[in-house]
Amino acid sequence: MKSALKAALAGLVTSTAMLSAAWAEDIKVGLLLPYSGVYASLGQDIDDAFALGLETFGADSGATFEVVREDDEVKPPVGLAKTKKLILQDEVDVMVGVVSSGVLGAIRDTVDGAGVPLIVANAGNDEATGEACSPYITRISFSNSQVNRPMGQWLVDQGVKKVFTIAPDYAAGRQMIDAFTAAFTAAGGEVVGQEWPAFQKTQDFGPFLANAKASGADAVYVFFAGGEAISFVKQYDSFGMKAAMPLYGSGFLTSALYVEAQGPAAEGVITALHYVPTLDNPENAAFVEAFKAKTGRIPSEYAVQGYDSARALVEAVKAGATDRTALAAALPKVAFTGPRGELKIDPATNNVVQPIHVYETIAGPGGLTQKVLATLPAEADPVNGCAMPAATN
Amino acid sequence: MTADLGFWVLQTLNALQLSMLLFLLSVGLTVIFGLMHFVNLAHGSLYAFGAYVAATLAGTFGYWGGLLVAPLAVAALGAVLYLTLIRSQRRAGPMAQVLITFGLIFVAVDATRLVWGDLPIGIAVPAILDSQIALLGVEYPAYRLFIIALGLCVLAALTLILTRTQIGAMIRAGVDNDQMAACLGINVERMFFLVFVVGCALAGLAGAVAAPVLSVTPDMGLQILIPTLIVIVIGGLGSLKGAVAGSLIFGFVQTFGAVLLPTLSSVLIYALLAAVLVTRPQGLLPAKG
Amino acid sequence: MFTHTPLRLTTLALLAAGSLSYAYAAGFFGLEILAEIATLAILVIALDLVAGFGGMVSLCHGALLGVGAYVFTVAANDAGLTALPAMVLAVVLSSALAFAIGAVCARSTGIYFIMATLAFGQMAYSYVFQSPLFGGDDGLSGAPRPDLTAIGIDLTDSRAFAVYAILLVAFAYLVAARTLRSGLGRSLVGLHHNEKRLRALGLTVWRAKASAFAISGALAALAGCLAAQHTQYVSPGLLSWTVSGEALVVVILGGLGTLTGPIVGAILFVVLKHEISAITPYWHAIVGIILITVVMSRAKGVFGFIESRWDDRGAKTVAKEAEADA
Repeated sequence: MKSALKAALAGLVTSTAMLSAAWAEDIKVGLLLPYSGVYASLGQDIDDAFALGLETFGADSGATFEVVREDDEVKPPVGLAKTKKLILQDEVDVMVGVVSSGVLGAIRDTVDGAGVPLIVANAGNDEATGEACSPYITRISFSNSQVNRPMGQWLVDQGVKKVFTIAPDYAAGRQMIDAFTAAFTAAGGEVVGQEWPAFQKTQDFGPFLANAKASGADAVYVFFAGGEAISFVKQYDSFGMKAAMPLYGSGFLTSALYVEAQGPAAEGVITALHYVPTLDNPENAAFVEAFKAKTGRIPSEYAVQGYDSARALVEAVKAGATDRTALAAALPKVAFTGPRGELKIDPATNNVVQPIHVYETIAGPGGLTQKVLATLPAEADPVNGCAMPAATN
Repeated sequence: MTADLGFWVLQTLNALQLSMLLFLLSVGLTVIFGLMHFVNLAHGSLYAFGAYVAATLAGTFGYWGGLLVAPLAVAALGAVLYLTLIRSQRRAGPMAQVLITFGLIFVAVDATRLVWGDLPIGIAVPAILDSQIALLGVEYPAYRLFIIALGLCVLAALTLILTRTQIGAMIRAGVDNDQMAACLGINVERMFFLVFVVGCALAGLAGAVAAPVLSVTPDMGLQILIPTLIVIVIGGLGSLKGAVAGSLIFGFVQTFGAVLLPTLSSVLIYALLAAVLVTRPQGLLPAKG
Repeated sequence: MFTHTPLRLTTLALLAAGSLSYAYAAGFFGLEILAEIATLAILVIALDLVAGFGGMVSLCHGALLGVGAYVFTVAANDAGLTALPAMVLAVVLSSALAFAIGAVCARSTGIYFIMATLAFGQMAYSYVFQSPLFGGDDGLSGAPRPDLTAIGIDLTDSRAFAVYAILLVAFAYLVAARTLRSGLGRSLVGLHHNEKRLRALGLTVWRAKASAFAISGALAALAGCLAAQHTQYVSPGLLSWTVSGEALVVVILGGLGTLTGPIVGAILFVVLKHEISAITPYWHAIVGIILITVVMSRAKGVFGFIESRWDDRGAKTVAKEAEADA
């Protein structure tokens, strides 16, 4: 009698526990970012904003999120090993992250083969949503060509006819400039010269600036990021070139993350990017305030990418996805209005479709700030060799 | 483009400026090696430390304050390193030295990240040098001319000290044969210490001087290390003339190579290095022989 | 003279048994670590051959590994070779390159030799980095694993791959040991002790050095192929001088000039790296401090230390017996 009662009680408890477990969905997220090395500050921005995004929007989804963080050290083999660990050992439902295109290239086959959805929170190389596209890889950040293409037409509209380009000689540098060059020449402009300083080996840009000066161009268009961007902008100013040859470029040149280090040299430089902290819309105002309150820093484009990754994940979960296959199918369908404006994913490539903002760096009351000059409408990337198979169900 | 004299003048000035910066770095390293037979791979890290100190102090003391204090700070660090590590490892052989200084590089990079963070920091060029000077038909940044002038002054001062003073004679004797010099009553240990500390100070000066032009990042020491090593190996270990020759060769090959032969430029300098190592293993103008 | 002392044989047997049982028991991440250790162990065995026994400290072994990895990937992807012939090609080409480097640097000694190898290594690195043929900074993906399905083994399975990696380490070790016991190996050790004497005895010094370097390069290329097959992706970072530097660190930690030390060192280094980086992002500093301490204490590395204590024990026993007899 007693044992029967005990058994009934145990059965009741167990079934209640199972029922409550069924209600609380736990989504396990693998966050792969550089926490050491040259890009550690970018990784940190993305991480902080991703966590902020989950805090802000996560409650709406009815699910709880567990985040497992791994450091890829910006090294492809390390990134691959950590990816395998996240997928096979930690058994995450979704992966987020990847700053470096090299790491993305290394893990692409593993992620695709294992059927794990990946939200790309930075890496911009065109192939990831081109020839190497995958139904499991959704990019919420940007593609290299997407950020530069609109400047081609815009510069022609400003009356610039001849341009000299400078960018570091590596895959990203080439993609950025090639996209600009194609658009600029198609709009009627002329590229009178190009320089490709050795990537991460050049610290002195004097020789290239001398060439640019001698070329007779109306303006100079460049791509640099990180430490190289700081050196380049300062050296450009030190040669007194801004007056005769205005400096334009891809927005990473004067990213909010490090523009202060450039000082007055950055004033007057006009660049284009998918996000600046001074965008005037209610979502951005809320985001900037929340990010500043949490970290004490002004958010950069890297931060907004992390924030929007969290938002995209939550939107996918709200649509009912809870496991790998469902998330992989739901992520390319998300669309929302965030700090960057209206965002959606292009199903042909799984790349984000977003407006690009042209802005000028000017001196403001609290330091350097960005004045938005124009917002160019959202355009999907050309398919670029992507043959998107249906996600296997 | 190549017919334009202004282009050549501009590039020559760029090459000279790069050479002078490398000279400041390499002269310390080469004399330390020539005298003490100690190869210090962490020399680049000292340069980075100088840049960080200058950048930090520039906020409160201005650029010139930073420029003055940075070499002293690096010299102090050098003194500590010498007394704790270097002195005991002087006769340990090249492999041990390479490994220890390699270990120092590891520690230095992480220590820099710990204290100053991962973000690159910038330092402004001082106001009086923040302009362009018209020279030989081109407008050249005044600050870069300052770097060239500073390098030449240091070169002149070192030449004077080494050739015209007693301490200079002692140093040259020590480079030639340190044991014989010790027999002659020269306090070789004290000389080593002095040379090491001055070499470190020069590295710190190079860092402080370079900071406004290049950006200050945790791996700037690693980035400048290979060019510095190339300079002293091509130029010849142990001699001032070698440091000058090596710096000029590197500066000019790198600068002109980058714009005239862009695809070959990165391989070119290493090919040159290999050629020197094969034909004249001691370098072009070594201290001995 | 390189001998297989009982201690060395026992250690090797223990390592083999230990690694194989770990391969059968470990989870997925453990198998990844095994493959990583194996690649590093082969590279460091290659380095120990020339640096530990020949006294030729080289900073270009990372480049030799990288050349092997790239040749393998390009041969398998673009030239249409299957994995095994591609590996052979990689080993042959890298070995030829190593022979050339060894021959050119044969005249240099000490720090000049180290600088010379650094120069050549950096030359290879710069070339691969900026050459469009090799994919530049983004690297090349798609390196295949050998197809052993004919004998019923599927190397796409992590566990089978880990065992394959361990077998390659054993192979590399045997090649190195065989080299050291041959005439070339003895010349190499002799050169380390007294180059002039061997030259006086009629040895063509440059050829001996270059040949030893070539074999070392072949092993480094083998490590490169293993690395390429493991991650199925190669990037220019493999050729960087910092990889060569790390190999040097490992051979010191493990025990220079013992040939077993490299394997011990590789295990220690990889495990240490993973454990420390799980605790702090500043693991470089910790490795640096350990390295400085090891070198300053003139310790002979972990295995070297074990060996010298073991030998001392033997000596003490002999001394005691001598006393007892007296």
